[in-house]
Amino acid sequence: MYRGFVVDKSILKNDPHFSEGCSSCHKGNNKASRKEDAHKNLVSRPSKDLKTCETCHEDIVKRFKTSLHFTTAGQRHGVMGRFSHNELIKFDKNIFETSCRSCHASCGDCHVRSYPVGGIKLGLIKGHKFIKKDEGRTCALCHGGRVYPEYTGEYGGSADIHYQKGMVCTDCHKKEELHGNGILYKSMKDVKDRPKCSNCHKAGVEDTERSQRPHKIHKEKLTCYACHAGSHYRNCYNCHIGKGAESKPGFYLGINPRDKKTFTTLRVVPTIRDTFKAFNIKMEHFDRLPNYWDSAVHTIKKRTDRTRSCDACHKEKKDYLTEDILIKGGSKANFDLIYKQKSK
Amino acid sequence: MFNLRLLKKVTFFSLLLIFISVSFALSKEPAVTAGWLEKNINNPNVVIVDVRKVEEYKAGHIPNSVNVFYGSWAISKGGMRNELPAMDDLFDLIGSSGITPETHVVVVGKTDTPPDKFDMTRVVWTLKYAGVKNVSMLDGGYNKWVAEKKAISTEQVKPKSKTYKGEINKNLIVDKNYVMSRIDKAVLVDVREPDFFQGKKKLDFVAKPGRIKNAVNLPNSLAFNQDSTLKTKEELEKAATSVIGTDRTKEIITYCDTGKTCTAWAIILSDILGYKDVKIYDGSTEEWTKDPAAPWEQ
Repeated sequence: MYRGFVVDKSILKNDPHFSEGCSSCHKGNNKASRKEDAHKNLVSRPSKDLKTCETCHEDIVKRFKTSLHFTTAGQRHGVMGRFSHNELIKFDKNIFETSCRSCHASCGDCHVRSYPVGGIKLGLIKGHKFIKKDEGRTCALCHGGRVYPEYTGEYGGSADIHYQKGMVCTDCHKKEELHGNGILYKSMKDVKDRPKCSNCHKAGVEDTERSQRPHKIHKEKLTCYACHAGSHYRNCYNCHIGKGAESKPGFYLGINPRDKKTFTTLRVVPTIRDTFKAFNIKMEHFDRLPNYWDSAVHTIKKRTDRTRSCDACHKEKKDYLTEDILIKGGSKANFDLIYKQKSK
Repeated sequence: MFNLRLLKKVTFFSLLLIFISVSFALSKEPAVTAGWLEKNINNPNVVIVDVRKVEEYKAGHIPNSVNVFYGSWAISKGGMRNELPAMDDLFDLIGSSGITPETHVVVVGKTDTPPDKFDMTRVVWTLKYAGVKNVSMLDGGYNKWVAEKKAISTEQVKPKSKTYKGEINKNLIVDKNYVMSRIDKAVLVDVREPDFFQGKKKLDFVAKPGRIKNAVNLPNSLAFNQDSTLKTKEELEKAATSVIGTDRTKEIITYCDTGKTCTAWAIILSDILGYKDVKIYDGSTEEWTKDPAAPWEQ
């Protein structure tokens, strides 16, 4: 067996995953002496076919097949409201199945550890080890564009208070959420056991009246993020199929499009009117959905401009979404997210 | 007879106290060796602060060290990198790390690449600024600890949180207006490498190549060995005095591009070489070059 990619022989001995040798998962020809022959019919991501893992991990794989990480249904759900019936058929066939679905997570993406490159674990250069969880790789590999660098403060601003306290993704996002629970969800917003701030931070039992009062006053009017998101976050603009999107930092406060009674942090989604032009999809109902969506911003701080001073919101309207800063040519639904002062 | 016994007792306890003091020596050096730290891992007055990323800390760290990621100590603010957090946030951070003004803090970072080590120097400087009286970095960082095959732990250590009340050392930092007012009087020390000082290179976020008018060049590379340990006092003194001179009472202001790497020479000049009045210009070239009125030369 070729052992160039495996640094520690004890790994081979102690881990049952290696008991049948590399070719049991990666196929190819383990009898060959030339690289070209050995790599013939090589499978680089064996767990992309869930059957590879299902043999031993039947229960988990069964649930995982229903998880959003595997189905990527959230990507479809996020945009389907803009399509007519015929457009959705076209989208499913030409875009969702060939593009969105192609990037679903496989078991190995999260559970095979390798050495870090730039803080994110990639490749098999120095190692190959099966692990239960490994946050740097598990999450940052796919969520390294926005959530992870915002959480660690590397996108700008400062680290989320939970990262400062040594918490990583799976301290809040439990395996039921990541592996699925057997229910086919359309969107992550529908998942019942998602992390909630109130799971750990009960409102109204703070140490001081100074802390209790604003929590009581703003209860069910503001999300926690509206006050405690500490710094700007990545917003993506102008996505065109085949070309991608561009991003820049921003911070927007507005009406929650999913719950018009609450005020929260909004993040720009990059879908614009001609995003799917290359596939001749005009999005007949484009204006039904906004370009700004409520976002669980991972830059939480105990103190922010808004917790330090009531005036930041009540006088200055700092970072409020306004007509002036709405994206040009965006959805008409964007206007519904602008906070309007109630007349007295 | 009685006095002799008393004298013996007093002598015994005095010697015991001296022994304890030596055993748990509270080094006042800005850098402690891996050997010193190994002996003081369980010293109740020492708090070891690992400033690497949480994932790196979890993968292995110095036993008894607490993890407070660098990004907690130096933040981006108002479009500027490596800024001090708000004072109440900083004090919360220090207190929640189990640090008091009297604690001996040893800052540990990685030295995988040459710039990594300045995470340690910036945090050392920040703690000094916040009023912690005895702060050191681990000479050569975590990499040196590993290279010397010292013990490594994967057990996460929860700090013993305290309320921190320190006295801010405002004289360790200056702003742009102050630098402008002292441009012909203070010694402005540019710690960037010669190509940057001479205007042959610049970082993307720095508006123009060159240096602050009248600055002298004392590059950081003269302060460290290949393994990111500090050079000897004699070597540091030779490098510093050839550029700054021997007058320890001069006002010295160090700067770099973001206020991070200039903390290394600031600490060396004040804590090792005895210069009495050393400050950093935190805004550095990132701020200075955006102001057309700020004196500049190429």
